[in-house]
Amino acid sequence: MMLLEGRNLRKTYRLSRRISLEVLRGVDVDIKAGEMVAIMGPSGSGKSTLMHILGLLHAPDANDGPAPELKFEGANVTRLSDGKRTKLRAHKMGFVFQSFNLVPTLSALENVTLAAEYGGMKSSAARRAALETLSWVGLDHRAKHRPMELSGGEQQRAALARALVNAPTLLLADEPTGNLDSSRSAEVLALLRRLNSERGQTTLLVTHDPAVAASTDRVIRMTDGLVDAEPQLALAA
Amino acid sequence: MSTLRNLARRKLRTTLTVLGITIGIAALVVFSSMANQINSLVGLGAEFYDDKIVVTDGEPFGTSPMRLADADAIAALDGVAAVDPRVELLWESDLAIGFGIPDTVTGSTPGADAGHDTVPLKLATGRMLTAEDEGNLVVLGSTLAVKHGVVAGGSVEIRGEAFEVVGTLQSTLTAPDTTALVPLRTAQLIYLGDLPPLVAESLVAEELVNQIIVYPVEGSDFDAVAGAIEATIANSATMTGAEFDETVGGTTAIFNAIIIGIAVISLVVGGLSVINTMAMSVAERTREIGIKRAIGGSRRRIIRELVGEAGLIGIIGGLIGLTLGWVVVLLANDLGRSSGTVLFDLTPGTAVFAVAFSTILGMVAGLIPAWSAARLDPVAALRYE
Repeated sequence: MMLLEGRNLRKTYRLSRRISLEVLRGVDVDIKAGEMVAIMGPSGSGKSTLMHILGLLHAPDANDGPAPELKFEGANVTRLSDGKRTKLRAHKMGFVFQSFNLVPTLSALENVTLAAEYGGMKSSAARRAALETLSWVGLDHRAKHRPMELSGGEQQRAALARALVNAPTLLLADEPTGNLDSSRSAEVLALLRRLNSERGQTTLLVTHDPAVAASTDRVIRMTDGLVDAEPQLALAA
Repeated sequence: MSTLRNLARRKLRTTLTVLGITIGIAALVVFSSMANQINSLVGLGAEFYDDKIVVTDGEPFGTSPMRLADADAIAALDGVAAVDPRVELLWESDLAIGFGIPDTVTGSTPGADAGHDTVPLKLATGRMLTAEDEGNLVVLGSTLAVKHGVVAGGSVEIRGEAFEVVGTLQSTLTAPDTTALVPLRTAQLIYLGDLPPLVAESLVAEELVNQIIVYPVEGSDFDAVAGAIEATIANSATMTGAEFDETVGGTTAIFNAIIIGIAVISLVVGGLSVINTMAMSVAERTREIGIKRAIGGSRRRIIRELVGEAGLIGIIGGLIGLTLGWVVVLLANDLGRSSGTVLFDLTPGTAVFAVAFSTILGMVAGLIPAWSAARLDPVAALRYE
């Protein structure tokens, strides 16, 4: 089953009146349920922007070209209101960022609980779910610590717990190991792999790291706002 | 609860914001209290003159002697219900120019108003004077009682003579606080002593008064009665309630407007500092707001959270500001009481207004930046450093 289907996805950022930056120039992408996919490409290739559109943080541009279309779980989500996109993000998606992006004034537990509350849980249930998820990522003993009291690897595991607490349909990770040393990086990657294999977690991750990409089911390579022709197609021809 | 925790974890910023509000609200409380006091002084003056006509001699300062017989002549006029002839003196024989109301000694015959006076005085200790009292007896206003440290049964010295304190009055925060009430005869004797020897030679103490309070019959034309009095008593001047409102009320209205103006300025300055601090604190948290929006926090929820925090800061700042203002008012009144200058009156209405204003101001101040923060593109907010 297709979880995500994107067609003609374009995004142009207007930096000023005269200068605009065409970041995505018409991308088609399909993600199957249960797949673990890496998006790779040099800086400025549009991979983060693609992830923002697939993660419903941004809507694709509709002007200057064929009409874009984005389907999530079979439903058209191309032009949803901010409120509806926010709700889908809260309930169906989990985000992990390169720089962890934990709320600095909240403890690891409170950060995860907050996401559970956004996902619709009452505060006591949210807290229970948060503790459970933290223990799954191996951070239950550090739950009461605030981000600045945690190591980078611990912070990213807390961020992963926050992304997972609502059992999302889609996990999106933007350079999840980009700020970690190799052993921490391997730790986080192992968790992502385990999620995918044990729970069938559909995972989309943006990465620079060939080692990370190599451990995924499929790699989407991007250059200059377009998806590269897939090599296996070339081989088949 | 989580709102309080959020504030507690941003101690420095919260403290500074609260401090800003505190100062604004404290200033508001102090200036409003001052305006209250002036209002009640004017109000009491107006109330005092409301039901009576005050007759003095026609001299510029109205302190030259009149005769007790004048009071009888007035009493005989049409439309006059009661007359209360008095002697009003300064406590000190030499006129010291001070700020506020000078201490005074008033001699009158208790009950002369025949129940017409509508400004009641309440006793704190002891008893009121009666018509039978004679000699050096005194009922002290509350400020005078505090100043001389006496209650009923004690004694004070007025013009070099010992007076037995038979009673002290409750505080009114107005003129009666600095007034000593003595029997008419007693005041007449002091008054005679005050007059230049050449004038005094031809006078008899018990005939002297310098103020006659006239209570017209209810519903009568005060101006007509005042006119009749001036026609009957040579060289007399009358003051009715309407005239008081015009002369004194007019001046105090300007003074009051200045005070309220200062209060409004402190309010605006306090308000702007709250808005500024709130805007800064929201800007500092742009990235955090981006995180929350990205992981599914709705705009409404973000706004609610920020406005809740701003309101709480407003309440805390308001309460501390009120306390601070209250302390200032208490200290200033305490200091002022010894010189007879009670300047502030902090009413419950002012207190409630100050805290409510601070809370609402905080929320409104928080709403504006919260609204714009919640509308930020989450991705852009996440990149914000």
